[in-house]
Amino acid sequence: MSEFEPNIVAFLCNWCSYAGADLTGTTRTHYPPTVKVIRVMCTGRVNPLFVAQVLRTGADGVLISGCHPGECHYMKGNFLARRRFIIMRNLLEFIGIDPQRIRMSWVSASEGKKFADVITEVTEDIKKLGPLQSFKENVNGHPKTEG
Amino acid sequence: MDIQKLRDEAKRALGRKEIEYLIGYKKGSYGFRISPCFIETKEEVDQLTFSPLCSLSLVNYLTIEGKPLLPADEKKSKAKKVALLVRGCDSRALNQIIAEGGISPDQLYVIGIPCSGVIDLKKIEARFPHTPDPVDVVEENGNYIITINDQSHTVPVDELKAETCKTCQYPTPLTCKKLIGDKRAGNPPQYEDIQILEAQPPEEKWQFWQNQFSRCIRCYACRNSCPLCYCDGCILEKLKPQWVKRSVDTNENFMFHITRAFHLAGRCISCGECERVCPVDIPLMKLNRKMEKDVKELFDFEAGLDPEVKPLLNTFAIEDPEDFIL
Repeated sequence: MSEFEPNIVAFLCNWCSYAGADLTGTTRTHYPPTVKVIRVMCTGRVNPLFVAQVLRTGADGVLISGCHPGECHYMKGNFLARRRFIIMRNLLEFIGIDPQRIRMSWVSASEGKKFADVITEVTEDIKKLGPLQSFKENVNGHPKTEG
Repeated sequence: MDIQKLRDEAKRALGRKEIEYLIGYKKGSYGFRISPCFIETKEEVDQLTFSPLCSLSLVNYLTIEGKPLLPADEKKSKAKKVALLVRGCDSRALNQIIAEGGISPDQLYVIGIPCSGVIDLKKIEARFPHTPDPVDVVEENGNYIITINDQSHTVPVDELKAETCKTCQYPTPLTCKKLIGDKRAGNPPQYEDIQILEAQPPEEKWQFWQNQFSRCIRCYACRNSCPLCYCDGCILEKLKPQWVKRSVDTNENFMFHITRAFHLAGRCISCGECERVCPVDIPLMKLNRKMEKDVKELFDFEAGLDPEVKPLLNTFAIEDPEDFIL
């Protein structure tokens, strides 16, 4: 059997992290192909329930990435998001989901290298944790079969 | 507490011409039940009551569907008010709703009752099963005197009191126009059971909650009884997008309970009503108190203490912890 490849969903803010991810591509920096990017206008737009929804519909980890504190295009979106995700992480941890699966990062538009590093680190961490089986959508209490 | 004082105060409130009606408690039609009542005239005041059986939150009736306070266009012209009885927890709920802009304080005339804790209906019904006739309960010197068909029984308070009330921090209403009776001191918060569960490995925590949530029948009684779940378009009823499917399976139940707990983070005022009404005894207050504890530790915030303070998630601090951020 081949090695476990985690399935990570990344919510990237339009102004910093998405542009940062773009830079990673244009500078041809390599990073693991485990991440599926969803572009949002701001991390403040990411409803914390997205995290739960994403995890139960098949992702093994979630990354939310936005502008550095104080650099938000909308002034305070990332501050508000930070507070929400602290709470959501704690809630999911309390319910029994490893908090390492819910990650957040600040990546600016010029930090292409950092974006690659973040993805590498998150991928490594989630590889260690293994697939998230418990929270996958069930049919009558039984986990769905693969495929 | 002196019920006559309560009735006098209610009469005085109803005598004011800006007050349209008063929401209070009256005896229920059977057993240990208490029902809310809406009093419009002074003559009806005698049905008002208050006892340790009054566990439901009257704040719900201000925001409940189909019972609008006043039609929107009448609000300004008539400036009518609703009088409302509140206990300590209800007062915090009211503060929180006012802070969120859910209700205007100008529409309210709040009568506060320092509360000594309420009886858990499940406990008392287990102790005295098959009690169809209305019952009187009085608290005296650490005992409940329960009168059923002219026979009185004495039960220690600790055996029947609801769990949340045993650790109530704010038994005295914080914001009210009139306070009936003496102020009561609160207890220090206790989070020992939460810390024990927190320390367990993720698999065991998951197993614990799976056992709990798999029993959930999704009756939404926890949501409906919650004084703070007053949104018009509740996310749980949305079909586009459908966040939580209607089927009762463990995974959907998890999503439902995560949604509920998250939406009460920094808002829950620990009245314990959700846990009391749960027909399958899911320890919902464990989730709520975990959120309450985290919010207190991380942001030094407690819900519902001051109607002027902005809600927790509408604000931020530059120095919020960010040790988990890369």
